[in-house]
Amino acid sequence: MGVQTLAGVGLMRLALLPMMLGAVIAAQSGAPAQSPAAGSARAPRAPAPVTHVLIVAGVGGAPEYEQEFYESAMKMAEAARTASGVADSAITVLTERPERDSRRIAGRSTKTEVQRAIARIAKSARSGDVVFVLLIGHGSARDGHSLLNLPGPDMSAAEFARALKPLSTQRVAVVNTASASAEFIPVLSARHRAIITATSSVMERNATHFARHFVDAYSGNVADADKDGRLSLLEAYTYARREVARGYESGNQLQSEHAMLDDDGDGKGTAEPGAHTADGALASRLFLRESAVAANVVAGAGSSDPRVAALLHHKDSLDAKIDALRRRKASMDSTAYERALEALLVDLATTNRTLRQLTGGTP
Amino acid sequence: MRGLTVLAVSGQIALGLAATSAAWTPLRAQDRATIQKQTALGEALMARGRLDEAERAFTAAVRGSARDSLTARVKLGEIHWMRGERAVAMREFDHFIDVYNQRGTRLTSRELTAVGIACRYLGEDDPELFKDALKAFDEAIARDPTDLEPRILEAELFLDKYNSTDAQKTIADVLARNPSEPRALLALARRLANDGEPGAMDALRRALKADPDFVDAHVFMARIRLDAEDLKAATGAANRALAVDSAYGPALAMLAAARLLGNDSAGFADAERRALARNPHDGEFYATLGEVLARNRFYSRAAAFARQGVERDPKSWRARGLLGLNLLRTGMVADGRQELERAFAGDPYNVQIKNTLDLLDTFKDYTEVRAPHFVFMIERKDADLLALYLRDLATEAYDSLAARYGYRPADPVRVELYRSHADFSVRTMGLPGIGALGVSFGNVLAMDSPFGRKVGDFNWGSTFWHELAHAFTLGSSGHRVPRWFSEGLSVFEERRARPGWGARVTPDFLAAFKGGALPPPSRLNDGFTRPAYPQQVIHAYYEASLVCELIARDHGNQALVRMLRAYKDGSSTPEVFRSVLGTTPERFDAAFDKYVRERFGDRLAIVEPLLLRGDPSDASAAARAGDGKFASSMRDGIAALRSGRDDEATRRFQEAKAMFPEYTAGESAYWYLSQLALKRGDTTAAIAELKSIVSSNDTQYEAHLLLAKLLDSRHDTAGAARVLERAMYIAPGTAATHEQLATMYATLGDWPKAVRERRAVVALAPVDRAEAFYQLALALHRAGDDAGARHAVLQALEAAPDFERAQKLLLELHQGAPTGAGRVP
Repeated sequence: MGVQTLAGVGLMRLALLPMMLGAVIAAQSGAPAQSPAAGSARAPRAPAPVTHVLIVAGVGGAPEYEQEFYESAMKMAEAARTASGVADSAITVLTERPERDSRRIAGRSTKTEVQRAIARIAKSARSGDVVFVLLIGHGSARDGHSLLNLPGPDMSAAEFARALKPLSTQRVAVVNTASASAEFIPVLSARHRAIITATSSVMERNATHFARHFVDAYSGNVADADKDGRLSLLEAYTYARREVARGYESGNQLQSEHAMLDDDGDGKGTAEPGAHTADGALASRLFLRESAVAANVVAGAGSSDPRVAALLHHKDSLDAKIDALRRRKASMDSTAYERALEALLVDLATTNRTLRQLTGGTP
Repeated sequence: MRGLTVLAVSGQIALGLAATSAAWTPLRAQDRATIQKQTALGEALMARGRLDEAERAFTAAVRGSARDSLTARVKLGEIHWMRGERAVAMREFDHFIDVYNQRGTRLTSRELTAVGIACRYLGEDDPELFKDALKAFDEAIARDPTDLEPRILEAELFLDKYNSTDAQKTIADVLARNPSEPRALLALARRLANDGEPGAMDALRRALKADPDFVDAHVFMARIRLDAEDLKAATGAANRALAVDSAYGPALAMLAAARLLGNDSAGFADAERRALARNPHDGEFYATLGEVLARNRFYSRAAAFARQGVERDPKSWRARGLLGLNLLRTGMVADGRQELERAFAGDPYNVQIKNTLDLLDTFKDYTEVRAPHFVFMIERKDADLLALYLRDLATEAYDSLAARYGYRPADPVRVELYRSHADFSVRTMGLPGIGALGVSFGNVLAMDSPFGRKVGDFNWGSTFWHELAHAFTLGSSGHRVPRWFSEGLSVFEERRARPGWGARVTPDFLAAFKGGALPPPSRLNDGFTRPAYPQQVIHAYYEASLVCELIARDHGNQALVRMLRAYKDGSSTPEVFRSVLGTTPERFDAAFDKYVRERFGDRLAIVEPLLLRGDPSDASAAARAGDGKFASSMRDGIAALRSGRDDEATRRFQEAKAMFPEYTAGESAYWYLSQLALKRGDTTAAIAELKSIVSSNDTQYEAHLLLAKLLDSRHDTAGAARVLERAMYIAPGTAATHEQLATMYATLGDWPKAVRERRAVVALAPVDRAEAFYQLALALHRAGDDAGARHAVLQALEAAPDFERAQKLLLELHQGAPTGAGRVP
């Protein structure tokens, strides 16, 4: 089996990549697809979706926490800017003491400022854009309701829900890394939304470690599990959750925070979501820069070379076969599985190498 | 099931004892006064072991319907029980259920106590009856709060069922009313000994002072002496009990155990014969032998005696439980579990057995890893990581110890690592709370996993080495090595294994030595088994290792081996000292004293002596031990450092270091000096200070990491790798450190070690599995293991099929492979 030439499918492939992203989201989330109708490579393209980032660092209560929240917020903003290529103008940072870096911090993280920032994003965001909200700080619970502790009045999950309401045609990720944050899932859950909380219960009230690891996932090269060169929200969540557990375990402490993710709109979080489970599917396709193409998706989408098109088609076929084989792994003899896997992976590696050669990449 | 019900309905007919048994026709009352004295007479005779006469007295009391005839009747049951006439005894005891159910509200405290005693025996057949025993004792106490007997019996029952908390409360109640009550004092001694608290001997002595003929107290004294491996004293205590009751089973068991441990086969057989003459079904005799032997580290023989106990009395749940526990200790897990389950069915209140069965239920979460000479049982999630280190370390240790002792334990040595310290404790003694890090049952070792404690609490590599050394010293001595010698050799071997491993001298050790608070070598077992203050056990380990060092220095390493052989041949410690070292224990004590003074002379001068007073103040005095000039220099240094007077701090820490150069624990002078050196940019000085810590301390993780970093920054990759290699035995769970070490080994071209480190990263289940497997594949490829590399790279690509670097490696490997699975045509 070698590289096959499949004449006549090249054009489809040209449109396929953006279409696939949009179509899958549309199919599962109902969000409007951003690509033109499949099969028409000549149709005008819609503008690439834009990611809007809001980072809120709440009140520290003590100098060490204020410092920690500030550092996490700035680190995340930097990661969004540099690692994910989000435009400066699309990043809003609010902290307890904005004077620490007035150039990069938009204002104080009061409830009013948070609501205003969300409103601004809602005003500028187009349908299909990604809105990423990261909440860092202490949380608390009053009458069983989660609150994010901000300078001045705290902000409840319900107040966040009201503020986010105008963002109905965008894909929204809200990550509340605070203690007692669990209620954000049932209150904010909706279609096209991924909600992450650092705790599974409002009773988990100890200061959390989730934020640090979540931010590390974006700022370091440590969490890209599928090695596609970009980090999905699901990958960041999985990394942070595992590192939190590892931290408690190595410190020989009882774990007092258990993160959850909900992105199927049912208001119920899942501790271990996956790309192929109800919770996790949307998060696996949410990236800070939505238009970014995976680094390992070989350049060639714009090529008119029919050999490239054929190879891309073959690659799609191999991807599907590998995925199907992996799903059958548990029912297969391990040697047979590895033989089959190796055959497919060698074919895929060869295909990718040829594609790189044809498109001018490094062989 | 019969048992005590709610108290009898009023109006029911009270049954007279005579009416319940046709055989027991009331005697004609020639002398009512005499009849009333029969029970007391019987009790006195019973206490002297004159069972036949006691039986006659109790029978007279019962037939004469004495006021305390119920007490007499329960005593009759006990006499049958002591003779092994179990069925007859149980019939007697069973009668008390009817007595209670029909006359409960009208029974006196003493009569309710008799009901409680009967229920306690009935509990041997139906454990639910133990609850009824407690109920009866409680009611007896309520009926007459001044009657101490039911309280004492209740305390004894709590102790039998390992319920220290309730036992202590009840004992305290009794002693508050009568501080000299012998049985309460004995119960107190048992409670303290069970819980490993000091004071047991004091309570026991008080009990014997109050009642010099108290046989159970003599028996317990014999047990304590046996634990201390003092056979002569144990024999003396047992004989004192036997002077009161020459056929008393528990005393004969102690005598038999002492004779057995002293290799006196004929004497043992005599004691056994005497015990069986009174009770041919005395399973408890063998259970006691099993228990004593297990406490003296003869686990296989303990299991054999426990089995004999079960054969004599299939309902001896204690014997069956001991059989199960000791089978587990000898590695026979399935058989041990079976016996424990049967024991637990018979006595579900035995906490040791319940805990152990609960622990065995968790074994499904463990996996067994096999290696030459070893099988490691490790919690599944840690197995891949820890086995990487254990395999090599175990091989090294085994070969080294086998060469040194000329002995090889039977394969395989079983090593169990527990993530939960409580689980390790239960595995060791059936109860949580053990202070140790590891234990050796000979060929079965159990220890805390490095994930079972906080980083820096212990070094799991040196702990393993220590426990494995026991396997050699126990085995090569036929398990006859005394505790002090086995522990001393294990610490000594730790020190020989790696620089910095094993116990080190501390100011508090020298304070104890200076104050005469340490037992001399000839009585060193006391430091382990009867510590006078909490730290004495720790001091005893170090002292024992010094004894071994002294012997090795003056008589050569082979003398240590010859001593083990002499113990195996049955020699006592004085005989071993004479035959191998050509000295007496007393002369050796003097030589050891001189050795310590010479070796630590100047350090001895700076510590305040620890002077024991033999009372509870000793514990606090010991806690303050070593608090002299050295400690004050450290305090001054820290204060200067905190206030920014760095030069002053440096001077103080240098002073402290000069006074006690061996002291590298915790935040030592070396550590502070390294920080001060770094602050002024003197990396060379910082490295020197840190090297001092690392070379003499096996738990200072932070110092290891910092030293490795500084050495690496100086391009001393080999030095840095050596330090990180040591650090893995303190904390193996940090992926970043493994990655660092893998890179170092790659730089050094040590690909097998690089592979091990890459495997460690994979074992830690990183989120970025693809990268971890890819790096492993690369290392394997460089190590020449292309088959392994292919397997690893496939795992990387399985997680991330488009991972470009991994694809390149796969193609490279694929093209290089002559043939192979999955090769694409």
